[in-house]
Amino acid sequence: MVSPRVIRNLKREFRRSALAKTGLLLAFIVVFVAIFAPFVAPHNPTTQNLDNSRQPPLGFTRTVESTSSELVNGSVVIVNETKQVNATTEHPFGTDSLGRDMFSRVVYGARTSLLVGILGTLLAVTVGVTVGLTAGYKRGRLDDILMRSADISLSFPSLVLAIALIGLWGRAAVEVPDPWVVLGLVDGMPREFVLPGTVIVVVGLVNWVWFARVARGEALSIREEEYVKAARAIGASDLRIIWRHVLPNAATPILVLGTIQIAAIILLESSLSFLGFSGTTLSWGFDISQGRDYLASAWWISTIPGLAIVVAVIGINLLGDWLRDALDPGIEGEGGV
Amino acid sequence: MALGRFLLKRSLQGLLVVWGVITVVFLLRFVTPGSPIDAVAPLDATQETRRAIAAELGLDQPLHMQYLTYLFDLIQGDMGFSYVRGVDVVGLVFLKVPATVELAVAATVVAIVLSIPLGVISATRRNQPIDYGATIFSLGGISTPNFWLGIMMILVLAVQFDIFHTSGRGVTSFNVATSILGPEPFFGTLIDWLSYITLPALSLGTYFMALITRLTRSGMLDQLGRSYIRAARAKGLPETLVRYKHALRNTLVPVVTVLGLQLGTLIGGAVITEAVFSWPGLGTLVIQSINLRDWPALQGSLIVIGTSFVIVNIAVDVIYAYLDPRVAYD
Repeated sequence: MVSPRVIRNLKREFRRSALAKTGLLLAFIVVFVAIFAPFVAPHNPTTQNLDNSRQPPLGFTRTVESTSSELVNGSVVIVNETKQVNATTEHPFGTDSLGRDMFSRVVYGARTSLLVGILGTLLAVTVGVTVGLTAGYKRGRLDDILMRSADISLSFPSLVLAIALIGLWGRAAVEVPDPWVVLGLVDGMPREFVLPGTVIVVVGLVNWVWFARVARGEALSIREEEYVKAARAIGASDLRIIWRHVLPNAATPILVLGTIQIAAIILLESSLSFLGFSGTTLSWGFDISQGRDYLASAWWISTIPGLAIVVAVIGINLLGDWLRDALDPGIEGEGGV
Repeated sequence: MALGRFLLKRSLQGLLVVWGVITVVFLLRFVTPGSPIDAVAPLDATQETRRAIAAELGLDQPLHMQYLTYLFDLIQGDMGFSYVRGVDVVGLVFLKVPATVELAVAATVVAIVLSIPLGVISATRRNQPIDYGATIFSLGGISTPNFWLGIMMILVLAVQFDIFHTSGRGVTSFNVATSILGPEPFFGTLIDWLSYITLPALSLGTYFMALITRLTRSGMLDQLGRSYIRAARAKGLPETLVRYKHALRNTLVPVVTVLGLQLGTLIGGAVITEAVFSWPGLGTLVIQSINLRDWPALQGSLIVIGTSFVIVNIAVDVIYAYLDPRVAYD
């Protein structure tokens, strides 16, 4: 699966392409930040401080106009005050409407996005590749049934299907202890990390079809190869042939598609949490929706998490482009929300 | 009559998929926590009342009978009754269809009109500034969540400059047509319409604009290097003709394929764009129905969305065969 030729192609493409380097750098930053969130974040992302709400990010100020009335010598005097709220280095990205540190929220949001992206993709790969390889290898009636169900699954836009399933199943979430905090390596950060369980299952289930189609196509051609015929001739079982011969040879396009699907699922997750269909409130999409009410007074609450999404998704897409160009699996790897 | 037979065959296949969609939507109700009776019955309903309601809704029937009744009602154009809203689902759903279609078509038109020339220019001026610009734009476009893009447009163009409307639909394209084509042409309605639809259509269309630019660029680069292009140039065809008639036509084949596959993304994107801009379409209906626990309305919307998706896919197949005559209608 990982032959020296593959490694050589990857290296050559990487040296040649500035975009591949950018992609790897961005993806590395996002992964690093997600893993070490409690160390990177300067504040607890859920700690509120209403006295310090809507503080602007570095380089900006916010003007507050307040009107108060006072009794002076028996008559009411209306006082208009204009106050400047300045940025501080303590909150480089500013604070949200409840005074929570935006930088820390962006850092923790990377965890949600990446975990949903990776776990959702793994689920989609498992289901899709199993179905696709079986259908392509066995052909016949089973192939027809599995691929017709794939067609039906494709007839629902994934976002609509995801919304419907979450609406029906509820927004279950799993609280996972944060290892860094439990081990006592860092103080003052949330002990538990909320994993939006339903969302992960749903994004996996609505995206399996892409993997099924690719895996089926690969299996259809691989099953005709001499080495598969030879394995069959010496009496290897179907399961063994699929596992030992078909899967490794179908791995490249699945890997490329998987990379691009992580980006697509991150976008899907942000849409779901924007609409309020996620089980966690520590998510980029959720923060964007929170900021909508403050667009006129505090633009950064919606803007900054969105930029984080763009950076993460661009990074992963560039990584996918790099793998595709280097490995040339011959698939159209565009997947969307 | 190849086209006729092709349409018939694809329609039959499509019908099969629609039947599957309906079955899945029907079964969705049974994986839902809570009984549909709860949606109808008062909180203090007695067992007697609940049983009467179950009988009224047909819930006392065995599952296959319920399924057949559901199918039979659908064929007669009955999608059930929304108890939460107190109206028939059919009327509710089809009232919302035009708004969503209008938004989706506007976004697609914006996307195609801007992206194909951009992709062609980008490919013919490879490694020049405009190519880099187009590449960066298209990379950003496929990586930006459309709801956030919509909010940023609201922030810049509406909150700061107050140019566009940011919520609602204002007038319909039907109003626009009647006012322009009427006895006294009036273009104010058109401007009004544009002030409502521009931001939602741009925010929904950008992803596709970026995607098609990318595909057109790589497709054109591939085609322009082929020998038939050299032959066309050698026999003295004007470069414009070579590019737009020969190379572009062959480039459009894979573009149409991917667009067909991405239609789901368009409809899904419409749902969230509608939520950002309070656009009164199917997407808004889906989200409201979930929040109101209005399952019949949700089922009806899903069936309409699934069915229209199948129909548009058949249309894409026809366009595909037209663009590439080697693809027989089979």
